[in-house]
Amino acid sequence: MARRLIYPLYQIGNPQLRIFRPPFSLTLVRPGKEQPQDTVQFRILMEMTKCDVRNYLEKIYNVPVGAVRTRIQYCTNKKRNHLNQKVKRPDYKVAYVQLAQQQTFEFPDIFTEKDVKSAEGSVEEMQEKFMEDEKQRQKPDLRRGGVTEWFGL
Amino acid sequence: MAATSVGRVLTLCRQFQNAFRISTSLAVQQSALTLTKSQSYLDRLTYPLLSSNWHCHVGQCRPLHTTISRRGLEEFFDIPENWGEATVKSGAPWTAKQLRTKSNEDLHKLWYVLLKEKNMLLTIEQESKRQRIQMPSPERLKKKLRQPLSLQIERSMKRLDTVVKEREDALRLLQTGQERARPGAWRKDIFGRVYWYRFREHALPWYMNKRYKRKRFYTPLFVTPHIRLRLEKHLRAKTRIQNKEREKQTVLQEKFPQIKAQSS
Repeated sequence: MARRLIYPLYQIGNPQLRIFRPPFSLTLVRPGKEQPQDTVQFRILMEMTKCDVRNYLEKIYNVPVGAVRTRIQYCTNKKRNHLNQKVKRPDYKVAYVQLAQQQTFEFPDIFTEKDVKSAEGSVEEMQEKFMEDEKQRQKPDLRRGGVTEWFGL
Repeated sequence: MAATSVGRVLTLCRQFQNAFRISTSLAVQQSALTLTKSQSYLDRLTYPLLSSNWHCHVGQCRPLHTTISRRGLEEFFDIPENWGEATVKSGAPWTAKQLRTKSNEDLHKLWYVLLKEKNMLLTIEQESKRQRIQMPSPERLKKKLRQPLSLQIERSMKRLDTVVKEREDALRLLQTGQERARPGAWRKDIFGRVYWYRFREHALPWYMNKRYKRKRFYTPLFVTPHIRLRLEKHLRAKTRIQNKEREKQTVLQEKFPQIKAQSS
């Protein structure tokens, strides 16, 4: 399914349009502002509707969807590049999905850095040890109680 | 150091469990199952997840359909073991040859697997932009001319689409004898060029469609001299290329007489 798809025209009495192998993708984003516990924020294609989002999540992800609200975010056309041409940042549509059955969703923290211990005797380990020693030397004497070295004694 | 890393993993798991408080117990059981099974989820891009339809051939028992992933919104993120790592292993994209061996049901399921993978990559990319950290193994999501598409996934999906189109074309040719799915006609535009115009669906007949009537499918008489000029230009360019090629050949023959004359 290419991007330039034309779906059949709908008139009253036509069969329900069914899309097999949908080409649309959703992006889950972290909300910029505080959202209620059951609200999930998505970025979707401009051509998608609330019904599309609801069916997508229900059928593909088995997520019980309550309410869906959408808005279009207009992105700036004011920025200029090195040739002084106006550069448009593409617009996108944002969908706020509220989950049914009193489910809650909290955006998880994906990028917590794990403590990586490098291999024994390798270069990285020696470097790390050296850096730690340096830092230890830089720290002021705790017995002085926060007073700088400028004051003698 | 080891203790803190284990502690971190535990806190991650706890956070993960707290983040998705799903009320039904069945879902919890199945999610536990999926966590153990989908260890090398990304490695196995070469085969779709075993979304098994265990059809009972006997006919006595009810057919049991269990999809592996009943995880809901968790599928927008990577498996928790991969959170925070610099590089994540991933498999090669599907080739058209491999896809042609699969049945239609398998292709259908594979499309959804690829779609979910793409959603996951887009989510992670957006999150990494927000946190201003580099995304783990960004070659999964190659940026080409400001098109944020996962190249491998896109390629696989395109090839799948091609294979499905081929099958549909073959079926249509056999059943109806029509070569194209979308009806069209050869038409002349205002500039005198002939092109294949593909039909669109409209709610009105064409003689009532004002916008359609503004698009003229005939060439006015005053355009004919321009057509002639365009033709002359095209012929001149063609002859120029041919002459250049011929001259090049003569020069080469003079310089290196032992070369066999190339027939172009």
